[in-house]
Amino acid sequence: MNLHGTKSSSCTGGFGFAIPWVIGLVLLTLLPAAASIIMACYEWDGLSFSSGAKWVGLTNYSMLLFDDPQFKRALNNSLLYSLIGTPLSVGAALGAAVLLSKPVRGIGFFRTIFYLPHVLGGVATVMIWSWLLNPRFGPINEGLRMIYQLIDPLARLWQESGTTKWPRPGWLYSPEWCKPALILMQIWSLGGAMLIFLAALQHVPKNLGEAACLDGANRWRQFWHVTWPVLTPAILFNVVTGLVASMQSFNQAYLLYNRSQDDGLLFYVLYLYRCAFEPPYRVGYASAMAWIFFGIVFGLILLAVRSARGWVYYEGQP
Amino acid sequence: MRLTRSKIFAFACLVAGSIVMIFPFWWMVVTSLSTPAEASASASASGFNWWPSDAQWSNYPDALRRMGSKPWIGFLDALTNTVVITTLVVIGQVFSCSLVGYAFARLRFRGRGVAFGLMVATMMLPVQVTLIPMFIMFRSFGWIDTMLPLVVPAFFGAPFYIFMFRQFFSQVPESLIEAARIDGCSHVRIWVQIMLPICKPVIAITTIFTFIFAWNDFMGPLIYLQSEEQMTLAVALNSFQNQYGDFRDAHYLMAASIVTMIPCIILFLVAQKQFVSGLSLGAVKG
Repeated sequence: MNLHGTKSSSCTGGFGFAIPWVIGLVLLTLLPAAASIIMACYEWDGLSFSSGAKWVGLTNYSMLLFDDPQFKRALNNSLLYSLIGTPLSVGAALGAAVLLSKPVRGIGFFRTIFYLPHVLGGVATVMIWSWLLNPRFGPINEGLRMIYQLIDPLARLWQESGTTKWPRPGWLYSPEWCKPALILMQIWSLGGAMLIFLAALQHVPKNLGEAACLDGANRWRQFWHVTWPVLTPAILFNVVTGLVASMQSFNQAYLLYNRSQDDGLLFYVLYLYRCAFEPPYRVGYASAMAWIFFGIVFGLILLAVRSARGWVYYEGQP
Repeated sequence: MRLTRSKIFAFACLVAGSIVMIFPFWWMVVTSLSTPAEASASASASGFNWWPSDAQWSNYPDALRRMGSKPWIGFLDALTNTVVITTLVVIGQVFSCSLVGYAFARLRFRGRGVAFGLMVATMMLPVQVTLIPMFIMFRSFGWIDTMLPLVVPAFFGAPFYIFMFRQFFSQVPESLIEAARIDGCSHVRIWVQIMLPICKPVIAITTIFTFIFAWNDFMGPLIYLQSEEQMTLAVALNSFQNQYGDFRDAHYLMAASIVTMIPCIILFLVAQKQFVSGLSLGAVKG
């Protein structure tokens, strides 16, 4: 196919084009990963390796897994946030995408609005939410109070005990409510997953839906038998990326930690950051934590992908 | 009849959802224009205050003046640093990812398949694993408290965008490249004069996403930057919060937050079409 000269020149040229990535792979991924494996077996403050590092073997791992209550707390917090928050936000994104795929007037405008929070995600949006969720001055608790006032008289009809005090959630300031607060923020920025679903919905065969309609299938059956199978690969994708991203979430935890009580917002990556970059700088310990983290994230991905055989449909497959 | 009813239902849901999505921003604007007393009373027994009775536009200059320890200088430093870092990161990513994507899509070299598999595999490695050794490495280079650790890695490409460029370049018809080769065009010229002009949509998406990522990046600057003169807006905003963490200063915090969001809002509104076309490109990975 190629001219004779082209082939040889493209051999050398091709590698030349890939060089930026090759250098990056070696210097920014492979060498640091190897160094991290070695560091995890040392007790070290990260300053002078020759004088300060002490070989401890696998002690860092065993200490983390068996006698570090803070590590356990951080792991629990992150897993809880990730395993509850991800299905909720992926579900919300799916619902939003189904709504936004309908040919309604002004659909472009609605799509823009639903996508906006995802684009603007950053320190500023965390600041907004910390203010919205302020237990005393925030509009969310005010709204909840108004709803409560509406339903309270009804509730009293069958509940004799005069409940005049409503359970005002402390949100970020309370150990029980701080994770629901972060999950609310996560659901609010559903735009990224929604975009993936919108793309997948374009592949739903229209004629199949019409045929099902003619056969008298109701909307729900139509969705379940026609739309859902097409969406399953996108659901798997969003669940996997959502799990990984929420396990890695750092900004919210770091920015809001001071408000929380009882280490309620001590997330895995926040604890890792503190061990590595705050005195007494336990660099080896943090490296071991990073590898356990890799194991957990990898395990979660594997679990999701394994389960996919049962419920994900690919085109050309019955 | 059924159809219209379901349409009305969908429309109502969309309006309600939009209100939920927009409300936090709206509340942010209201708070940023309130007096301290009004800000803390705007959601209280008297009901919601949908617009401040006397909009305090001076909150904005006041808030920015208070950022950092020196009036105005703190804000201007943070703004300049953020703009410079973001611009360099975008240039680096577009340059390196398009180059490497072209190599993976169009050029033959020894070990290309293995290399590509390796690249996809590295996407699985959480950044936390390499974070600490990288910090130690950059410190040994003397790069701490400079923007180099934030900018230089961008020039070595990111697997996700390389993948996107590769997918796009793979779709370019072979005859186009063949013709150029016969005319004696080098691969560098093909890349600059043929490939880059036709892959504008991918360049646009890479630009938009890396812009937003770099602009909002918090952990990177937090780890690598130390002095106030080097700070970026994201970190400056947080130290601003700690300085005035009290709810009585919420109006300043909200005003400063809005200012840091403006570039991303403008970019989003200008480049909306590209976001939507990112939809079909996103389908490639989905």
